[in-house]
Amino acid sequence: MTDAIQIPSTGVPIPPPSIIEIVHLTRTIDTPSHRVEILRGIDLAIPKGQFAAIMGPSGSGKSTLLGLLAGLDSATTGQVLLDGVDITGLTEDQMAEVRGRKIGFVFQSFQLIPTLTAEENVLLPAELAGVGAENAQRARDLLHRVGLSQRLDHYPVQLSGGEQQRVALARAFVTKPPILLADEPTGNLDGKTGQQVLELLLELNRIEGTTLVLVTHDPALAAHADRIITLRDGLIASDVLKANQN
Amino acid sequence: MAKPSPYRTAAKIAWRETRASSGRFLFVILAVAAGVGSLTGVRGFSQAFHTVLQRDARGFMAADMTVRTFQLPDAKQLATMDSLAALGVRRTQITETLTMASPGPDAAPLLVSVKAVDPDAYPFYGTVSLNPPGNLRTVLQPDALAVSDGVLLRLNKKLGDTVRIGGLPFRLAAEITNEPDKMTGSLNVGLRVMMSRAGLERTGLIIPGSRAAERFLFKLPPTQSIAAVRAELQKVFAEGLIADYTEAHPLIEQGLRQSTTFLSLVSLVALVIGALGVATAIQAHLQQKMDSIAVMKCLGAKSSQILRIYLIQTAGLGLVGGVIGIAVGSLVQMVFPVFLEKYFQVSNVPRFDALSALQGLLVGLLTVLLFTVPPLLGIRKIRPALIFRREMAAPRRTVGQWLRDALEPVISAVVILAFVGLIAAWLSDNARTGRYFAFAIAGAMVALSIVAWVLLKLLRIVGRNLPRAAGPELRQGIANLYRPGNHAGAAVMALGVGVMFTLTIWIVQRGLLKDIIRTAPPGMPNVYLLDITAASKDAVYNLLEKQSGLEGKPEMIGAVSATIQSVDGTPLVREKLQGMARRYARTVTVSTAAVEPPFTQVLSGAWWAPNAHPAEAQLSVGDQAARLLNVHVGSKIAWTTPQRTFSSTVVAIHKSESVRLSARIEFFFTAGALDGLPAIYYGGVRAAPKFVPGLQKALYESFPTVTVINMAEVLDTIQGIVDQISVVVRFISFFSILAGAVILASSVAGTRFRRIREVVILKTLGATRRRIARIFSVEFFVIGTVAGLMGGLLAVGFAWAVLNRLLRANAPPDFMALGLAVFGTALLAVVTGWAASYRTLGQKPLEILRDE
Repeated sequence: MTDAIQIPSTGVPIPPPSIIEIVHLTRTIDTPSHRVEILRGIDLAIPKGQFAAIMGPSGSGKSTLLGLLAGLDSATTGQVLLDGVDITGLTEDQMAEVRGRKIGFVFQSFQLIPTLTAEENVLLPAELAGVGAENAQRARDLLHRVGLSQRLDHYPVQLSGGEQQRVALARAFVTKPPILLADEPTGNLDGKTGQQVLELLLELNRIEGTTLVLVTHDPALAAHADRIITLRDGLIASDVLKANQN
Repeated sequence: MAKPSPYRTAAKIAWRETRASSGRFLFVILAVAAGVGSLTGVRGFSQAFHTVLQRDARGFMAADMTVRTFQLPDAKQLATMDSLAALGVRRTQITETLTMASPGPDAAPLLVSVKAVDPDAYPFYGTVSLNPPGNLRTVLQPDALAVSDGVLLRLNKKLGDTVRIGGLPFRLAAEITNEPDKMTGSLNVGLRVMMSRAGLERTGLIIPGSRAAERFLFKLPPTQSIAAVRAELQKVFAEGLIADYTEAHPLIEQGLRQSTTFLSLVSLVALVIGALGVATAIQAHLQQKMDSIAVMKCLGAKSSQILRIYLIQTAGLGLVGGVIGIAVGSLVQMVFPVFLEKYFQVSNVPRFDALSALQGLLVGLLTVLLFTVPPLLGIRKIRPALIFRREMAAPRRTVGQWLRDALEPVISAVVILAFVGLIAAWLSDNARTGRYFAFAIAGAMVALSIVAWVLLKLLRIVGRNLPRAAGPELRQGIANLYRPGNHAGAAVMALGVGVMFTLTIWIVQRGLLKDIIRTAPPGMPNVYLLDITAASKDAVYNLLEKQSGLEGKPEMIGAVSATIQSVDGTPLVREKLQGMARRYARTVTVSTAAVEPPFTQVLSGAWWAPNAHPAEAQLSVGDQAARLLNVHVGSKIAWTTPQRTFSSTVVAIHKSESVRLSARIEFFFTAGALDGLPAIYYGGVRAAPKFVPGLQKALYESFPTVTVINMAEVLDTIQGIVDQISVVVRFISFFSILAGAVILASSVAGTRFRRIREVVILKTLGATRRRIARIFSVEFFVIGTVAGLMGGLLAVGFAWAVLNRLLRANAPPDFMALGLAVFGTALLAVVTGWAASYRTLGQKPLEILRDE
């Protein structure tokens, strides 16, 4: 899936430029009684277009890492570079703008806005970025692609779990973000529905050419990824690139 | 393509959000509507009334200009008024006085307010409507009367019958259904009897010194300058009240302004409570929306964008509430004339005043926005990471952050208070009132919050330690008060403010009337006699003494009208006097007393010896007059009367029991000092109530021109007026209770989903509807009881302070009112609570459990 660039003079393949780069990232939380070190120094680079799965037991720091990648939380030390831009020093509002432009999200519990219809939910990121009108048709197309063209005016409460997650997928892609972050996207769905949602996610990811970072407990889900990064006690325990990847 | 306006996008998202939760916002809208409604209603009616006063000013005065005086005109005044006739100015005279009307020898006479007019000239503007329809000129023959329907009813007479006034028969010729200048009249205590001036001459009621108001009505030719005529009249009527149609009626206008200010401030209380409710509802709403807000932040929304969405949403709700409030206000505006119809007959009052509506809307909107800013600012603190791990959103705060966080609500509170103060200052047109109002509101809120917090804390401890025998309903009902998101404290406080306010007004009103009745000392007269001539005073006294049922000796006092010319050589000029002292620049009532009158205490100097006849008159001055005029023992006061001028020396300063007849006189002279001056005598006697009609009848038979006032009837009149005023105030302050109830309903509706879940779980576990209903009822009942107890206790305290400290009455705390408040508020809370949540009881467990 990832394109390696060949340098003609030497023939030595060099990796494509990293869209996500993490430099010695740590995150500690001080509680009144003690200090919790969630991430203890992570170094990671994810090239453009790569599908990386982050695995690990509960409490290993997966969701924290995902949150820091999206600028949803502040790192204690270290850097997160998205497309070469260090986001660790950005203000909350600057970070929100970066998210609006570069990041799509898919959550385990769908996180649709209950008061908006399916179509309005999909269109919301575009509207927040001030490009709602241009993307109205794209929102409908995406809903059509995920098989919900008949459910445009339905509210989340009127949709099944699988349908809600499909709306969330369409929403994640509406602004054509270069990065898609997914947190256990099939965790709340039964096996069959989960499989359908996963297939849709991978298909959209392929069509849109997005870099996908997916947090999961499920080895079967991770098996679809180009790369599997396993965290344990706040550190990278293993980082496995599939055989056909460089 | 150009980016759409961020406000447009925010408005679009706000609309979608509101559309999906319209039911929840109903209470927010109602809370705003209650406050805006009362404010708009009060100010709208005030403006409309003012417009009517201006529009129909000539009609209300029945003239272009009027002069009112309580004396018959002297030669100079008559000459000036006659000279105006040469300029084309027409004039007519109206005399108003109180007297007795007798239906016949077998029944007690009735106190009536006589208005004697010249039917050929009166009224210059407007019409007197009669039933049967007729012309005043033909109806008011010298032996005929036009009367209000009350006279017919009270005297049990019909048109065509005869009554006696001043001992002479008068035919009841017509019923008055409308009198244009009724509200500008002078003596409106008794029921209206209108007669011609020739009729008044027949009765002989008016003699020098009589208690009568003379009103001169003028009609000016269109070319004549109002100011010029007024200036001429001012030269000779120094004591008269001159008014012209350009200023309508200054006293009514002043009363209108003061009432509007007071009622506007009462409305502002309702609005503030409503705004507090909106802030509570918005805070609850935002708490439920935390996840959605975090999601929006994840999707790229900045805090300012989200703030804009909810600000627009709040403004929209405030706007809708305000518009409904304007509709409510126009209903309130329609109700006011009903309250006033007994005293003022105003027709065609505009039902809508655009400026007041706009002002009400703006004040409502601004108040709501300001009160909701603190919860809205909380949006900035919602971290998008909430979606992943809630604990990640709560890192340890530095001291600086903690201080910043703590300072924010303090600054918000100060800004809100300043704003409320500004609004109050604007409504009252007085910066000091605005300041006091803001501090009073802050004080009341803090006091109520503390009391509410303490009561709810205590209740929690009680609830946790209840014995098993108390039953699960009681325990769970109390525990429900502390359910997350249940703003019991806010609901209790909001309801408590309304109760406190309304109840304080009620207790003060009741306390005042009770105080008037209770503090009357034993033997205080309950029947007063006015306008007794010097010739008949002894005969009246003798007749009084012979009456049955007397509970003390009759009192009688003579009074002469005189004017103070100078005090210690300094001329007494009205313009140089301040405040209350100005009244001594007018004619005052003086008397003689050979010995110290009963119930009088000499504060300084000494009363003269009995039968003393000093060459220069000596006098004792009442303590209040002495203070205001800076008079002391040894001061020289020069007097003038139409008959002669004379000087006097102050030998004593005295104090009278205020309820005694002698307290009406502030200047007592040595015997003989007032000889030769026309005196009118007043009498007072205490009689058992059942003997009063007989006494009135006997006096009328022998002395038909003597006016007999039964205090019981006067108290009834006072009670009527006080009731009428307090009904208006209670009506407006009721809006604050309404706002409180709306907040309770909003709080209950805000926890609807939690309630549904509870109902479902309880039903699944085998609880019957009745049992669940009992649990909720306990919760609502406790909220109402605590609010009623808290508001009631504070009201009893405030009212006690107002009555005993401010009004110097002697009223004990009114605990009956407290009991009524607790019961009433508990009932209101139960009804409101169920109105907002009755549907939860009908939920089928399976639907909810399956959804989960």
